[in-house]
Amino acid sequence: MIAKVKQLLENETVDIFIGYKRTDGHPLPHVFTKDNPDELDHMVSGPQRYSLEKFATHMAAEQPGIRIGLLARDCNQRALKVLYIQHQLDPESIETVDLNCCPSRLKTHADCSYLETEKVGDHKKQRGLDNTLNTEDVETYDQAERFSRWMYEFQKCIKCYGCRNICPVCFCKECSLEHDDLVEPGPLPVEIPIFHLVRAVHMAGRCIDCGLCEDACPADIPLRLLYRKVNEIVKDVFDYQTGSTTDQSPFSQLGDKVTLEPRAMVAL
Amino acid sequence: MTIKRMTFLQELLAFLGLEGRLHLAWISSAEAQKFVQVVTDFTETIRKLGPNPIQMYHQAITDGDSQMDSGFRPMKVM
Repeated sequence: MIAKVKQLLENETVDIFIGYKRTDGHPLPHVFTKDNPDELDHMVSGPQRYSLEKFATHMAAEQPGIRIGLLARDCNQRALKVLYIQHQLDPESIETVDLNCCPSRLKTHADCSYLETEKVGDHKKQRGLDNTLNTEDVETYDQAERFSRWMYEFQKCIKCYGCRNICPVCFCKECSLEHDDLVEPGPLPVEIPIFHLVRAVHMAGRCIDCGLCEDACPADIPLRLLYRKVNEIVKDVFDYQTGSTTDQSPFSQLGDKVTLEPRAMVAL
Repeated sequence: MTIKRMTFLQELLAFLGLEGRLHLAWISSAEAQKFVQVVTDFTETIRKLGPNPIQMYHQAITDGDSQMDSGFRPMKVM
């Protein structure tokens, strides 16, 4: 892998390469350049993940035309597809060194923090939602119980915006979650479930299930479970698998390009 | 576009336990009778569903109902 990156930099295929460097014992995101070839010897790849494509987005915004290489796990690759669709990155300017990380019996090595499931406490399982549940499991609860459990989870939110900040496909300069009329600045907890619903709705056609939001959440809110449902709805209703295609999201297309069987909305 | 968003939102709200409170109808300003009918019918639907759970949640917190919350209290952050 290091050799490949060295080659990319030396051939000037890319101007910079974003990877991980062991800094003070931790693998942290680092921009490798042709001018510092010795640093490449410290390049590592482990289970730790950051949203490298998000850095790429910021750099591309500041220096249009810069050619960026990056280490891309499966989740990064999916995020890149969405970023291309949303015109945040130019596919011509990106070069990936792919790191396949999904576990498989045919592959001896699977390396990702996503695969380390945390143990969920009993109280949380009783009052709230187990983060490792599937969406079908949530649907076994009736309406009142679902609501009560979700509210238990949401009320822990401290409005740290961690989920929004770390999300690779969140790039709006004016985030609606920072709008005074929608989310009142000051009091905690946030206006629930509005805050999380707004975020969930904005994730439609964008979320690629990298799981960084849930990793980032200090209150352990099962965000991935919520956004997985969002992705399921988008897949079932619009036949659009976010992150696997370079087609436009159904929510970006006006008119009749996306056909939707009209369903009566009366008396649900 | 609206129908796409509304269909999506309907499913999402159902997942959170807020099913049945969303209704979409296209009514022209010349269809006054239809408007009256739709609003009356939906008001009745909502009445049958009962108070909004979000409202009830906030009310319970204010009343100090410990069943509803887990001890997290709203607080003003300066």
